[in-house]
Amino acid sequence: MVALARKTLVHEWRRFLPAVLAVGFAGLLQLLQAALVLGIFGSASVYITGSSADLWVGYPGTQSVNLGRPIDPNVEARLLMDPAVARVEPFIWLDADWHSGGGTGGVSVFVSGIDPRADGMLFARALPPALRALLNEPDAVVVDRADLGQLGVGIGDSATINGRRVRVAGVASGLRALGGVNVVASLDTARQLDNDPADGGRPTYLVAQLHDHARAAVEAAAGRLRADAAFGPYEVWTARAFARRSMLYWILDTGAGAGVLFLAAIVFLVGAVITSQTLVAAVAGSLREYATLNALGVSVADLRWVVLEQALWVGGVGLLGAAVLGAALLALARNQDVPAMLNPPVALACAALTLGLAAVSGVAAVRGLRRADPATLLR
Amino acid sequence: MNAPMHHSPPPPTLRAESIGKAFVSGKLRSRILDDLSIAVEPGELTLIAGPSGCGKSTLLAILSGLLGVDSGRVLALGHDLGQLDARALERFRLHHTGFVFQGFNLFPALTAREQVELPLHYLGLSKTQVRERAVQSLEEVGLAPRMHLRPAELSGGEKQRVAIARALAKQPDLLFADEPTSALDAANGQTVIDILHRIARSHGTTVLCVSHDPRVIHHADRVLRMEDGRILDDQRNTPAGATAEEPSP
Ligand SMILES: Nc1ncnc2c1ncn2[C@@H]1O[C@H](COP(=O)(O)OP(=O)(O)OP(=O)(O)O)[C@@H](O)[C@H]1O
Ligand SMILES: [Mg+2]
Repeated sequence: MVALARKTLVHEWRRFLPAVLAVGFAGLLQLLQAALVLGIFGSASVYITGSSADLWVGYPGTQSVNLGRPIDPNVEARLLMDPAVARVEPFIWLDADWHSGGGTGGVSVFVSGIDPRADGMLFARALPPALRALLNEPDAVVVDRADLGQLGVGIGDSATINGRRVRVAGVASGLRALGGVNVVASLDTARQLDNDPADGGRPTYLVAQLHDHARAAVEAAAGRLRADAAFGPYEVWTARAFARRSMLYWILDTGAGAGVLFLAAIVFLVGAVITSQTLVAAVAGSLREYATLNALGVSVADLRWVVLEQALWVGGVGLLGAAVLGAALLALARNQDVPAMLNPPVALACAALTLGLAAVSGVAAVRGLRRADPATLLR
Repeated sequence: MNAPMHHSPPPPTLRAESIGKAFVSGKLRSRILDDLSIAVEPGELTLIAGPSGCGKSTLLAILSGLLGVDSGRVLALGHDLGQLDARALERFRLHHTGFVFQGFNLFPALTAREQVELPLHYLGLSKTQVRERAVQSLEEVGLAPRMHLRPAELSGGEKQRVAIARALAKQPDLLFADEPTSALDAANGQTVIDILHRIARSHGTTVLCVSHDPRVIHHADRVLRMEDGRILDDQRNTPAGATAEEPSP
């Protein structure tokens, strides 16, 4: 088969360049927007995704990890009775005010009280054992390197949280939070910093590790533990579900979801207009040749297919460009501590949207073939 | 049509029976063809000549199934073209007709060989058959050495020969040409006429050509003179070049 669509695209690349660029940029914008949203709102669940726990236990109805309320510490015993559970660890999460000596105003911080053992579950990914050990010192805290400026401190400096003195013992990366600054301390230090007497030193969450980390086993254990809440009001989620719940809460609560959809629609529309206009012009430019083929008996349906194929090539080339450029930009973003993250389903959705854009434009261009009337060649 | 006695021709492959055609533009209705009948025979080059605007191209479009008639009917290879729907007409054209237009209408991106191969694929031929037929028809028009060139690298006459090869490769029973030499100089025009003539003779193809070009008129086996939507005169050139007068319809 003579690859008319592809050969024309290569030979007349200048003519098709606007369409390829429009598809490419639309794809790139969708990809980057998705990566930023996932990156930024994914940091809402950094506590969950950064730790090695399989199950999270918290106050019933908690919508997002930052909205937890203290629960009965005795739930731990109930959890440990389940044969699937290997160990349980408390986690204290609280809002607090940070004041550094530098005279900067208060900064809203989120204090995470964790078990600093080398094999502790909380922030197992972000904090290596050496950093965790530093937290054993009373009043020691660890913050993200990128937050030092905002907190107005350097390593070794002192500051106050809720009026109590703390010392920045070290810095890590991968601790950045959404809507505030994460400060990690030991459970004991965190209890000291909590100035709400109602909390009474109770944990905000209990996290559990199971013997079997397989997804099915984790889900089965979560279902079992959820069914029985006899020891007081609490709810059990798998880490996956809770991370997702937290992220979705933020996306919906901040209106970012609507914004993303709106922008995606605009990008799609603008991309489709430019692409279809270019393809329509290309069809119009080859109208006499298409009409000749039709005179020779090549059916209109086959000609339509040639135009659609051309649109799909434009889509494919544009998508390839978007993927290459997108990967480079995401690597750069990660390098610069810009929160950007992409997972396969979302990347696939972006690719599908981009090819869909090209296909829609192709369908619009196909309509231009109606003017390819072979009778007009005889005048 | 009256068939001459001294000439025992094969039955016509193409006939129009009292066809009429009018175009309506706005409120104006202009009659282009009026009760016109002709029969075109295979194996010869038939020419339609006449003043500009007399309806030659319109007649060609109707006889080739690109345009419908208002009255009368067209029989091509025994098919009543008026009875075929759009799909069936496409299929009829695919299997039986070739076209050479005034413009060459070649795809800028394709080489001469690919131009010729392109329609052949839709005939359902195998890859090697397509290749063989394309090369063979390019040889027939004397373009085999240039078959890897794109239209931008070909002269006007060469482009027209590619267009002829494209029509020829389908091995059509009917070949239609509208002013095939008007964009060419004398030598190239002569070559194109010779090729059309040879196709009619060697393949038994019905070749129907519209032209004002006196060289074409001289080379045609039969010349139909048209004026105001009617055939005024039907002349047959004998192979020797002498003309045998025939009664006009
Ligand atoms: N689609 C159309 N709509 C309206 N009028 C048309 C259409 N096609 C042709 N005509 C008219 O029909 C007449 C005959 O046209 P046609 O193209 O058949 O002439 P022709 O004999 O081929 O002339 P020429 O030698 O200049 O090519 C012209 O007057 C033209 O204006
Ligand atoms: Mg004409």
